[in-house]
Amino acid sequence: MIVNFDLNGEPVSVEVEPNMSLVDMLREELGINSVKKGCELGECGACTLLLDGSPVTSCLLLAPQVEGCHVTTLEGLEKNSLMIDLREAFIENGAIQCGFCTPGMLISSYALLRDNLHPSAYQVKKGIEGNICRCTGFTKIIEAVLDAAERITPE
Amino acid sequence: MRPTPSFQYHAPKTLEGAIELMGTLENVKPIIGGTDLIPQMKEGVFSPDHVVDLNNVAELNYVREDNGLICIGATATHNQIAASDAVKKSQALLDAMTMIGSPQIRNRGTITGNLINASPAADSAPPLLVHDAEVVIRSIDEERIIPLTALFTGPKLNCLEQNELLTEIRFPTPPVNSASAFKRIGRRKAFTLSVVSAAAYVEMEGERCVDARVAFGSVAMTPIRASEVEDMLEDKTLTASIIAEACLAARNHVHPITDVRGTAEYRKDMCEVLLRRALEAALERVR
Ligand SMILES: Cc1cc2nc3c(=O)[nH]c(=O)nc-3n(C[C@H](O)[C@H](O)[C@H](O)COP(=O)(O)OP(=O)(O)OC[C@H]3O[C@@H](n4cnc5c(N)ncnc54)[C@H](O)[C@@H]3O)c2cc1C
Ligand code: FES
Ligand code: FES
Repeated sequence: MIVNFDLNGEPVSVEVEPNMSLVDMLREELGINSVKKGCELGECGACTLLLDGSPVTSCLLLAPQVEGCHVTTLEGLEKNSLMIDLREAFIENGAIQCGFCTPGMLISSYALLRDNLHPSAYQVKKGIEGNICRCTGFTKIIEAVLDAAERITPE
Repeated sequence: MRPTPSFQYHAPKTLEGAIELMGTLENVKPIIGGTDLIPQMKEGVFSPDHVVDLNNVAELNYVREDNGLICIGATATHNQIAASDAVKKSQALLDAMTMIGSPQIRNRGTITGNLINASPAADSAPPLLVHDAEVVIRSIDEERIIPLTALFTGPKLNCLEQNELLTEIRFPTPPVNSASAFKRIGRRKAFTLSVVSAAAYVEMEGERCVDARVAFGSVAMTPIRASEVEDMLEDKTLTASIIAEACLAARNHVHPITDVRGTAEYRKDMCEVLLRRALEAALERVR
């Protein structure tokens, strides 16, 4: 079957089997590699993207379920000023080690700061509770998100 | 990871269309958030030939207050429910909606899927049980409305026929002199299945509790109400010693098992602790 949707601002049309997951369609058919496959059961958050603006795990969606939807991945936020602040804060705070969790972490952190410019440390933890990092111990990631919140230039 | 077995995908736009598909297709499963069903299909628990996606059925997506009832449409997500004005009136349900899973899960998952999956640990169940919730079930042939207590028939078992859809969850708007709370314990703080959970609801006239309702998750074959415990709280002033007595008694009215998440004895201990915390939180909120 054919799925039509908006990927990072561009209309796309893809032929898929209905049992293909969204993360597989993005990686295999569309060359979107920022969405990572970790657990494929919704537990690790490595495949997180924005579906109509809300963070979801793309391993738990079927490809045909995004018909008519807006899908945003890290690739589509490359020039976004909030994402640039977050990316720099992650690098400068040592919030990245192997980097496998990073795209998902950035997407969850982006959604958090977009909706709440001044989160508490607790709110940051709640915002990234669906993203697992095996390397950093989370502390530096939380610091990076709080640091990014400080950097945001009011528009 | 084994791929999801192949199936035909259907995305009806109306409830009538969805009900007709459910009534005519063989080996069919509805899907909403997919946060239970997709992992279960990947693990081979279910291998449907047809999957009916309910997300495009606009008439099932609502949370509203209607004639003294809070009504939740089948496809309302946990986050959508938490953000609604109507559900602000049930603090216990709001507690659960903000605790389940993670932001990603709460953006997709629904109470419908949580109840139909019928895990004894389903976190939406204890809050809905203390609100005397009912569910509306539709098929080609009929509509039936049953109390939530009748939906669960065993661990991971519910009373729906293959051709039926749950279309609405509803409960009476809690009166202003009432309050509720939901507490749970998992193996870690965030993002985990409950080892034990408890919901409490109290309706007060001055210092006197005129209606008390208590429910537990993960301590029996299904989520349960504990009416013997409720009787110990009703028509009383809820002093610390009355609460302590009722919480102690709760141990004898639950039937937990030992499994990988905890022993039966630990679960009994936690029933006592969580019920006290839930009652105290509810009382705090009513004042
Ligand atoms: C990482 C992760 C964390 C989780 N954390 C929690 C947690 O903390 N607490 C908790 O309680 N649960 C948790 N869950 C379980 C799950 O997210 C919830 O049970 C969720 O509410 C299920 O809703 P859904 O819409 O995704 O259901 P789906 O997966 O879409 O459906 C679940 C079942 O319901 C059936 N169904 C769907 N709609 C209907 C209908 N209208 N009528 C009849 N049958 C229907 C489906 O066929 C399927 O069998 C978690 C799951 C994951 C993956
Ligand atoms: S791969 Fe999707 S949550 Fe782990
Ligand atoms: S940096 Fe390695 S998993 Fe997070």
